[in-house]
Amino acid sequence: MAVSTPVLGVVVLVYMMIIFYLAWLGYKKTQQTEDYMVGGRKMNPYILAVSYGATFISTSAIVGFGGAAGALGMGLLWLAFMTIFVGVFLAFVVFGKRTRRIGLKLGAVTFPELLGRRYQSRFIQGFSGALIGFFMPLYAGIVLIGGARFVETTLNINYDVAVLILTVIVAAYVITGGIIAVMYTDALQGALMFLGMALLLTLTYIKLGGVVEAHQALTNMAYLVPESLRAGGHLGWTAMPEFGSPIWWNLVSTLILGVGIGVLAQPQLAVRFMTVKDDKALNRAVLIGGPFILMMTGVAFTVGALSNVYFFDKLGVISVVAAGGNTDLIIPQYINSAMPDIFVVLFMLTLLAAAMSTLSAQFHTMGTAIGHDFYREFLKKGELGQTINITRMSIAFTILVSVVLAYILPVSIIATATAVFFGLCAASFLPMYTGALFWKRMTRKGAIASMLVGAFSSLFWLIFVHAKEASALGISRALFGVDTILTGTWTVVDPIIVATPLAFLTAIVVSLMTKPDSQEHIDRCFGISTATD
Amino acid sequence: MLGIDDPQIWLAYVLCLLSAVGCVIYGALKWNDGEEEEEC
Repeated sequence: MAVSTPVLGVVVLVYMMIIFYLAWLGYKKTQQTEDYMVGGRKMNPYILAVSYGATFISTSAIVGFGGAAGALGMGLLWLAFMTIFVGVFLAFVVFGKRTRRIGLKLGAVTFPELLGRRYQSRFIQGFSGALIGFFMPLYAGIVLIGGARFVETTLNINYDVAVLILTVIVAAYVITGGIIAVMYTDALQGALMFLGMALLLTLTYIKLGGVVEAHQALTNMAYLVPESLRAGGHLGWTAMPEFGSPIWWNLVSTLILGVGIGVLAQPQLAVRFMTVKDDKALNRAVLIGGPFILMMTGVAFTVGALSNVYFFDKLGVISVVAAGGNTDLIIPQYINSAMPDIFVVLFMLTLLAAAMSTLSAQFHTMGTAIGHDFYREFLKKGELGQTINITRMSIAFTILVSVVLAYILPVSIIATATAVFFGLCAASFLPMYTGALFWKRMTRKGAIASMLVGAFSSLFWLIFVHAKEASALGISRALFGVDTILTGTWTVVDPIIVATPLAFLTAIVVSLMTKPDSQEHIDRCFGISTATD
Repeated sequence: MLGIDDPQIWLAYVLCLLSAVGCVIYGALKWNDGEEEEEC
């Protein structure tokens, strides 16, 4: 790496000073629980949009999914489209407005609390909190991997040290400044990410001779697809994989649908809709959010795929080979060898910002899920008790688990593990979240049943059927002597395809079979304003 | 189109751009809509 360490050191120091200033502002503005949890419900639309985008897009999306695009090609652009259309437009306009309104009416300050109060069930709130506290460290762990991998290759800093420093800094401002500090720092980090990704795209197209020329060169490389990938259905980097092949199922069911639909039921994103004052802020946020996400996912996936052209011109090999077989290293390798030194510094910051903005939201959500939702509302039935200490301890504990996972998870895991978490959230939360907002007839029992069916069928499919995880976990082999209990195409179909529809069906059937919730409560949730919606 | 032969890919590329533009238009048209009239 040619960038001098002092230059990089100064840049990172200045960045950290600004971050701490913003965190201090957040700390000063945090006086009540509502400030700590939902920013006093008066966030600015720009901050909302960029914070939402910067939280959604982590190093995982850029490094992990960008690397996956390097291996699988531009088919991932369907996911980019989903992240803009579903992740921004539908999320803000359709889900966001109702979430904000109902959250305000019920006084909810977390995503599990919104669900719990809408269905008058502490069990829903507690179970959702526990599920988040238990599984979100997996997602936080891979975000750490993504950030640390780049620091490792760029600065030659020991990976373990990088992980620890990153964690301590983020944890410090999340614990003290709550969501205001999280969102203020997100806004700065998001701006850096936008700049970094815009430059990355521009420089890549310039380097490869123009937009059409770059794509054409990649199209012409289809004959270079390795035999192992070709057998799985890979038809080139500017073509969709063969319909129904294992690679097609992985791309479409796990990466595109898993993340593209899972985004709607992400607790750390949904809670942000409750941080603004009115629908006007949500409308304005759409204007900023759409182009922001385009510059993140659209650029990462395009550049990831195009890195093949660069590596083939320069080294005579495709990206996966240049990265030593680890797709998580494709983007870092590409930046380091193809981009000018000054850009490497900027991109280092971009990724640091991407990692920190997602981690801060995850730490905040995991901590409040265990401390507020599980401990206070479920175990202590609303009593304050030791909530503050428990929240702090659970933030520390879940962070510790994330760090341990960052050390032990295998290579090329980033994109898959992200999709696993998003898929689990979709199956467990999406039906009851959708029902909570749009279907007055949905009952508490329907919600509980759909949450349990979604969570457990999703986990069952992961452990016993979906070959990628089932064979790695080995539980199916230990119990039944086979890697997967079903065979053929089933083993490449993602849990989200099976578990989410099953959970929706359960929600509808059980709700219709049980007594409707009291009209008084429904009126309280939806109020008079829904008549004009 | 755009140096990409497979319509399934260039369509995704174009849809990404269009959906982002759509978000900008929506936000601009509704810039002042949805102000909270009464505080609950």
